[in-house]
Amino acid sequence: MADDKDVLRDVWFGRIPTCFTLNQDEVTEREAEPYYLLLPRVSYLTLVTDKVKKHFLKVMKAEDVEEMWFEYEGTPLKWHYPIGVLFDLHASNTVLPWSITVHFKNFPDRDLLHCPSSSIVEAHFMSSIKEADALKHKSQVVNDMQKKDHKQLWMGLQNDKFDQFWAMNRKLMEYSTEDGGFRYIPFRIYQTMSDRPFIQKLFRPVSPDGNVHTLGDLLKEMDPTALPNDGEPKRYQVVIHGIEPLLETPLQWLSEHLSHPDNFLHICIIPTPTD
Amino acid sequence: MSSSVLDEQNFHHCCQLLLQQSEQLKDGWSWEAVQSGLAAPVDADSIEGDIDDKEGEDEGACTVSEGSSQVLQYEYHIVYSCSYCTPVLYFRAFTLEGKSLSLEEVWSSVHPNFRLRLQNSPLNTITLQEHPLLGQPFFMIHPCRTEQFMRPVLQAAQDQHRPVNYVLSWLSVVGPMVGLDVPLKYSTQLHPTASLSSTKPD
Repeated sequence: MADDKDVLRDVWFGRIPTCFTLNQDEVTEREAEPYYLLLPRVSYLTLVTDKVKKHFLKVMKAEDVEEMWFEYEGTPLKWHYPIGVLFDLHASNTVLPWSITVHFKNFPDRDLLHCPSSSIVEAHFMSSIKEADALKHKSQVVNDMQKKDHKQLWMGLQNDKFDQFWAMNRKLMEYSTEDGGFRYIPFRIYQTMSDRPFIQKLFRPVSPDGNVHTLGDLLKEMDPTALPNDGEPKRYQVVIHGIEPLLETPLQWLSEHLSHPDNFLHICIIPTPTD
Repeated sequence: MSSSVLDEQNFHHCCQLLLQQSEQLKDGWSWEAVQSGLAAPVDADSIEGDIDDKEGEDEGACTVSEGSSQVLQYEYHIVYSCSYCTPVLYFRAFTLEGKSLSLEEVWSSVHPNFRLRLQNSPLNTITLQEHPLLGQPFFMIHPCRTEQFMRPVLQAAQDQHRPVNYVLSWLSVVGPMVGLDVPLKYSTQLHPTASLSSTKPD
């Protein structure tokens, strides 16, 4: 696969400049300075914010500290979505740096998953990879891997090692040329204005009569209102990794090149900014 | 060769049969069609039941604070997973004051006989996950082994030309692990009227 290896690198090394500010209601011994960080788009908030935690704990008493969580303009941020998805979904048309509020109290149990350690992130990540492979290869590739291979995928992500990760991940991206693609494309479509967290269904990369399915075909079936009508201004942006891919792009190509390390293609549908 | 695969249509069918029985047994299952927001077709559904589980009466009671048993409210959802072609059990548990149970507390309420076996599994089987339709944290029993343990059940039914309700059989396996008892009456008094095509081999 992957003739377009540069794309994989660009996706992997995508960063979002972020400013972390302590929630005003937290009890501190002296004023907390904001903390700046370049967040990797493909990682998870709770995996890359040890430094943020350390920074704010310096001004807090241990008894005032509970599980850390993040919020953007009133929305608790779900750590189990990749960082890039959170940004595209909630903050893509705002000024950088992305301004995230840090909390150490009143963990919103009903909105967020607890994440007491990085092993929770690992379990979540591996579970996504397994689910994606169930869709792509009936779980055959991931089940043929050994435990150390699974670890290699995880360590690659955790330590930001592109080559280590892709040396193993390319196996998950293989398919036979006669099939013309995966069994089903692992994708999730997110919309801020929906009650449902995301749309996820079965969708093949190639139609029964052999036509290649595109991003536009997927949206037409899953979320037709996201597509522009002829002659009308565009109401929604279809965003993957911060860009708007052409709707004519083959879905199989997108799945191989623009999927997150969890092997899912995360697609954000956001209202077009009105300015 | 996969006779143990459940497609979404069969899932609906199995759930409808289960609901008919539940209505007679009055144990509180209901069908919830979930609004899918922005104009996506409405075909995502889950079946849910609220069961007040008075743990104090059982052996292996879930004692959160030492020496005192307390009443917990469990909420169970059966949701179809198109990735694994299986039903998935989601649940959450609250104290009467509305405090949700942590993962550790849920594990401690699992009978020790089940606990060891579950925790040895590579995915640690019970995890806190986002409910795929509600977007809220729920505990989930991971579906990646479901096909494996359902295969012999379905095979046996097929060999004996018995009708079998996939969802009911599956629920009777996973439910009791997390405090959800499936009354025997589901299988003895009431027979599903239709045989299910999901039991036919490919």
